[in-house]
Amino acid sequence: MTKPTCEDTFLKKRRSLGNDYYSLTFSPYSQAERCRPGHFVHLKLPGNDVFFRRAFSIAAVSPSAGEMEIIFKIVGRGTRAMAHLRPGDPINLLGPLGTPFKRPRKREHTLMVAGGIGFPPLLFLARDMISRGHDPKRIEFFYGGRTAGDVIERSRIKKLGVTFRPVTEDGSLGSKGLVTVPVEEFIENHDNGNCRIYGCGPEGMLKSTNELALRLGVPGQISLEAPMPCGIGVCLGCVVPLTDGGHARVCCDGPVFSIGEVAL
Amino acid sequence: MTADLGITIAGVEFANPVWTASGCCGYGEELARVFPLSRLGALVTKSITLEPRLGHPPPRVAETSAGMLNAIGLANVGVESFIDEKIPFLARQKTRTIVNVAGSTMGEYIEVCQRLNDVEHLDMVELNISCPNVDKGGMQFGADPSLTEEVVKSVKKVFTRPVIAKLSPNVTDIVEIARAAEQGGADAVSLINSMVGTAVDIETWRPRLTNNTGGLTGPAIKPIALAMVSAVHSSCRLPVIGIGGIAGWADAVEFLLCGATAVQVGTAVFVEPEAPVKIVRGLREYMRRKKLRTVNDLIGRVRKYG
Ligand SMILES: Cc1cc2nc3c(=O)[nH]c(=O)nc-3n(C[C@H](O)[C@H](O)[C@H](O)COP(=O)(O)OP(=O)(O)OC[C@H]3O[C@@H](n4cnc5c(N)ncnc54)[C@H](O)[C@@H]3O)c2cc1C
Ligand SMILES: Cc1cc2nc3c(=O)[nH]c(=O)nc-3n(C[C@H](O)[C@H](O)[C@H](O)COP(=O)(O)O)c2cc1C
Ligand code: FES
Repeated sequence: MTKPTCEDTFLKKRRSLGNDYYSLTFSPYSQAERCRPGHFVHLKLPGNDVFFRRAFSIAAVSPSAGEMEIIFKIVGRGTRAMAHLRPGDPINLLGPLGTPFKRPRKREHTLMVAGGIGFPPLLFLARDMISRGHDPKRIEFFYGGRTAGDVIERSRIKKLGVTFRPVTEDGSLGSKGLVTVPVEEFIENHDNGNCRIYGCGPEGMLKSTNELALRLGVPGQISLEAPMPCGIGVCLGCVVPLTDGGHARVCCDGPVFSIGEVAL
Repeated sequence: MTADLGITIAGVEFANPVWTASGCCGYGEELARVFPLSRLGALVTKSITLEPRLGHPPPRVAETSAGMLNAIGLANVGVESFIDEKIPFLARQKTRTIVNVAGSTMGEYIEVCQRLNDVEHLDMVELNISCPNVDKGGMQFGADPSLTEEVVKSVKKVFTRPVIAKLSPNVTDIVEIARAAEQGGADAVSLINSMVGTAVDIETWRPRLTNNTGGLTGPAIKPIALAMVSAVHSSCRLPVIGIGGIAGWADAVEFLLCGATAVQVGTAVFVEPEAPVKIVRGLREYMRRKKLRTVNDLIGRVRKYG
């Protein structure tokens, strides 16, 4: 686990991405350089209306500009307040937190399996891989949502040069159905030993991704969510059951876990 | 004039009266990444039981207005691993270590404390006779004056350093329990542990915790804790350690004025991991402003109406 800092920063830029999705960029953030794909920040809203901090995966960083971006969807009180933040508003960030993704080997096919608001850490991972010399053409970016409006930042993903494979339940964009279906097809048409899966999204999707990866013998990692009072490992509130019978803390033993490690 | 934040409880000196509360700072390793533990008066460990415990299945925490519910269920590594794996780290920290002990039976409290008695680097034990989240033990002891007296007395026979009894607010008369702890030979009492509460998801009709109920903590319980500290301080001779909803230095001052010799910071650590350090700093500035030389100049000095 990385040593976190607790620091005041400011909202630099807010972008509305439609359908209750927003992007927030914070600056100056002294930790931008230390953020790795899979890390998250724990964000304290000003005032006392929202008691706990809220956890958000890091979507992008610009160490030279001291900037860090998160992308979120309004789902409750905290995220609603966040959507109303204005540039210049102060925010307290605890981070970077958690155990990041392990990068795949360069010759492997990397399968990003994103569901809904699970895509930000995978965007960061893809971009980080490419900047480290991975061939974007070997990155398959599967991105599932209920409808086209849930598959956001499409041009940004495409611009990376990855193979973008949107999937929607209603068929309004890309192939119709669940994201795991084309993922399975891809693996069946390739050498499973040369594929690696990275998943992040709703619980049901992660459960099927985990099962599919185990069944087809594809290694990889998934990033989980849990209620997180502290984010630093001291409260034991965020645990998930492991397949070996124990518990792991999502905030510091995760949020990134190996396929097959968690009893989903 | 520099304010002296040092305090003494049962012959043990503490650099300051600001401690972290059990279950809110693990065994110290994680918090030490955020600030040097030497800034704390003491660290109180997560409750230790004889055998390791997993605790309750998730979800076991829920946010509430100005606080939270938890039903962790005494998840801990067990006394053996605690001594082998956690004590060496704590021994290297320049802070006092207080080990919180829980049990399902009288025998379990005794056995855990017996083993802890052989551990050199450990300053006190705090008996958790007030956990609302386990079927057996915990609160069952702390809700009954005679059991409280007995468990303290038995532990005092096997543990030769000071013993703190941690009291539950889920009782009719906390003063009676404090007196029973005193009778049993406790060196101090700490209060309060969490208050039984629950919350329900109105979409699924499920309680928000798999344990159905949990313990309420955080700013929401501060006024209750303060009144209880005040009551126990006025009617019992033992030093009182105040706990409940302390988030800033001003909260700590209130507790000291109501009779606490030291305070513990719990839930606030989750929201603001550096809260204890800020409280120490704020307390020092406050004492300087009020021209107070020692913490004793504050303890129990609330000017109650006649
Ligand atoms: C490691 C991690 C990374 C995340 N990354 C993103 C991201 O990049 N983008 C995004 O939109 N969302 C992300 N989330 C989810 C985000 O934290 C929640 O959407 C947010 O906390 C909701 O807050 P709210 O007040 O709007 O919702 P409310 O539902 O009103 O409140 C959230 C409350 O529910 C608790 N809670 C219960 N279950 C969960 C859960 N599964 N996840 C989080 N909190 C829960 C929280 O502790 C909090 O008290 C992430 C969560 C985690 C744990
Ligand atoms: C998540 C959590 C876990 C806790 N675990 C313990 C425990 O193991 N033993 C114990 O005596 N008290 C435990 N407590 C109670 C705290 O030590 C403290 O008494 C209580 O939280 C009130 O203080 P606060 O309002 O500052 O949090 C726990 C509290 C929380 C929030
Ligand atoms: S959120 Fe507290 S231990 Fe993970």
